[in-house]
Amino acid sequence: MASPTFAVLGLYSDAQKIVDAAKQIRPRKLGRLEAYTPYPVHGLDRAIGLPPSKLGQLVLGMGITGAALALLFEWWTSAIDYPLVVGGKPLFSWQAFVPVMFEVTVLFATFTAGLAMLFALNKLPFFGHPVLHAKAIKDITRDKLALSIERDSASFDPEAAKQALLEQGAESVEVVPVPVWDHPLSLVGLLRTIAAIAAACVVAGAGMYGAIKLVPIAPPYIHMHDQPKLNAFRASGLFPDGRGMRPAVDGTVARGHLPPAFATPEEAGTMLVNPLPLTKPVAERGRKVFNDHCAICHGQVGNGVAQLSRAYGAKPGNLLSNEMVGRPDGYIYGVIVRGKNAMPSYAPDLDEKDRWAAVHYVRVLQRSQNAKDEDLR
Amino acid sequence: MTGEAPRSFMVRNLLVAFTLLGAAGAAGVYLSAGPARFWANWLVWTLFLLTLGLGNLFLVALERLVGAHWSVPMRRVPERIASLIPLAIPMLFVAFAALPVLFPWTHEEAKHNPILMAKAPWLNLPFFAIRLAVCALVWMLFYRFYVRGSLRQDESKDPGFTVRARKVAPGFMVVFFFSVTILGFDWISGLEPEWYSDMFGVYMFAGTFVSGIAAMALGVLGLIRRGRLPEVKDKHFYNLGTLGLAFTVFYSYIGFAQYMLIWYANLPEEVVWFKHRIEGAWQPVALLLTLLHFFLPFFLLIGSVGKKSPGLLRIAMLSILFGHFVDLYWLVFPVLGAQPLLGWPELAMACFFLGLGFLQIRRAMGRGADMPVGDPLLAKGLEWQL
Repeated sequence: MASPTFAVLGLYSDAQKIVDAAKQIRPRKLGRLEAYTPYPVHGLDRAIGLPPSKLGQLVLGMGITGAALALLFEWWTSAIDYPLVVGGKPLFSWQAFVPVMFEVTVLFATFTAGLAMLFALNKLPFFGHPVLHAKAIKDITRDKLALSIERDSASFDPEAAKQALLEQGAESVEVVPVPVWDHPLSLVGLLRTIAAIAAACVVAGAGMYGAIKLVPIAPPYIHMHDQPKLNAFRASGLFPDGRGMRPAVDGTVARGHLPPAFATPEEAGTMLVNPLPLTKPVAERGRKVFNDHCAICHGQVGNGVAQLSRAYGAKPGNLLSNEMVGRPDGYIYGVIVRGKNAMPSYAPDLDEKDRWAAVHYVRVLQRSQNAKDEDLR
Repeated sequence: MTGEAPRSFMVRNLLVAFTLLGAAGAAGVYLSAGPARFWANWLVWTLFLLTLGLGNLFLVALERLVGAHWSVPMRRVPERIASLIPLAIPMLFVAFAALPVLFPWTHEEAKHNPILMAKAPWLNLPFFAIRLAVCALVWMLFYRFYVRGSLRQDESKDPGFTVRARKVAPGFMVVFFFSVTILGFDWISGLEPEWYSDMFGVYMFAGTFVSGIAAMALGVLGLIRRGRLPEVKDKHFYNLGTLGLAFTVFYSYIGFAQYMLIWYANLPEEVVWFKHRIEGAWQPVALLLTLLHFFLPFFLLIGSVGKKSPGLLRIAMLSILFGHFVDLYWLVFPVLGAQPLLGWPELAMACFFLGLGFLQIRRAMGRGADMPVGDPLLAKGLEWQL
């Protein structure tokens, strides 16, 4: 069975003749008019009735979309989702957004131009074209221009098309049948494609790995991790003593950790008064300090009975005893700083205010555990 | 043909009357509104005419440099507009009288200002005059070479000139960029000499080029409408629209880049220049500038319709040309105060300079044919296909 006709080709050698022929044949509506030429011919697009390309409008639309999306994204990230003041500028600084908007506009526009041209308007992917099987294809890709009348409906008449082309000065005429294709998506073809992609990945990955790891002469870039720098616990040639970490200068005092002027808690009791007023926030702070640091031995209420004392058989002081009630604030402060018996110094853990707040809380505990009638009122 | 001469005579007389009226008005401006306002107007209009002339001379040289065919049939138009250069150069020398009025670096206090003292090797009167004289000399030499040579070629049909013009073009490009940069630095940046912007020369060039294209396109469209360029078709002036679009974008790109860098760095002596120009009463002028110099021409010219339709192309090019005037006004006038000054003094000065400009172009139009008939590339240019 002969396969149906795809198109009738008429060959011309002269660009003006093919344009004139197309203008004459087009109104007769013999079929879809198409032209195959080795170089662009001015006016031929209009002669075969191609509408103006929609690509320009598409690109403009997508360009504006890109600009709008970039603006929206930048506004949302810098002014809504993660507001961060940079250089004292307003959160919504359109001036800083313009370069990104410009780039995204170009990105959207060029991708639209390329992809829409290939896939939407030129209808790719396209596995071969019937005209490629015509005998005239060698001439068409060299120096001849072909006007083609193509099948657009069942009533397409190849004879009439042939006649029309010859009337309009075609040098020769060829009937191109619809070719018989193998199915483009065969199993072997798919497997080959997958194998090729896998091979490409392996080659590219191995090549990149080799370039970075195995060829030390020219590393592609220096990692930030490898830059020359001082490391706190490593040796360094930068300083004469060979140490990376610098010891503090003699006499350095950390903020809030002035060294105490007293030698013993008793001395502190005669020297110091509690500088903090007894207010609710101070008492709250004192409770937190006491519960975090003191209660493990002295107990939640300060009576010297707690988990740790039971486990180890130690005897922490009873802060509610009459002796302790009679001691001045400075004495308790002094014990916190200097320690007493088995109790170590808490000076490194607690700053000035924490210590005095804890002293206040000890007084609060003493009063609450021996509450008098007037305290309850 | 017989009715043409009296009409032409009438137009000329009207222009002369217009100019004389403007001149009388300008004298009134100097006496009543004060020298500062007079010289500011003088500077804006001199630079306007000069940049149009230089932009068109650049277009001529650019065509020679790249060997373009499409623009050959229209080349007489930029050659004629370039005749604004010999008109504007004397005006620029007259503007030396504006130096003590408008340019703070000429004042006595400048000797005690550390920034201006550091700039003194550049901003001093002898060097300023030498620079301007050298620039003017170079512009005139190239103007005479290109325009006179092209007119002589009408008679001699000597193809050798086309070759020579091409060989000279690269030299003109280099000289042109330097001289336009100097023009911008000296006559506009110099108004506020504490301001720095390396980009200003490029900004000046971009404005010069795009307004040159606009003036050329308007000239071409005007001649076509009067039937004097019957063989020039839309395929020819389509490219003017394309160039106009490209360099509108270039101008805006440079203008925005200059603004954005200064906005980002936020250095007091730089940022104050923009503060005076985009805040307060000057804000509407700045917005008008972006509209006329970018948004309107950009969206008119981006499609092929706008480049091929004479009506739309004319609107876009008028917008660019008016935008160029607004640009110069916006650059110069803020030194006079926080309020944009616009009144009868500006109108009178506009009459004077526009009248002179049109008279000069009319005079140039009397010389030679409307197309460069002696150019061997003319036939190719007429056949040229889009």
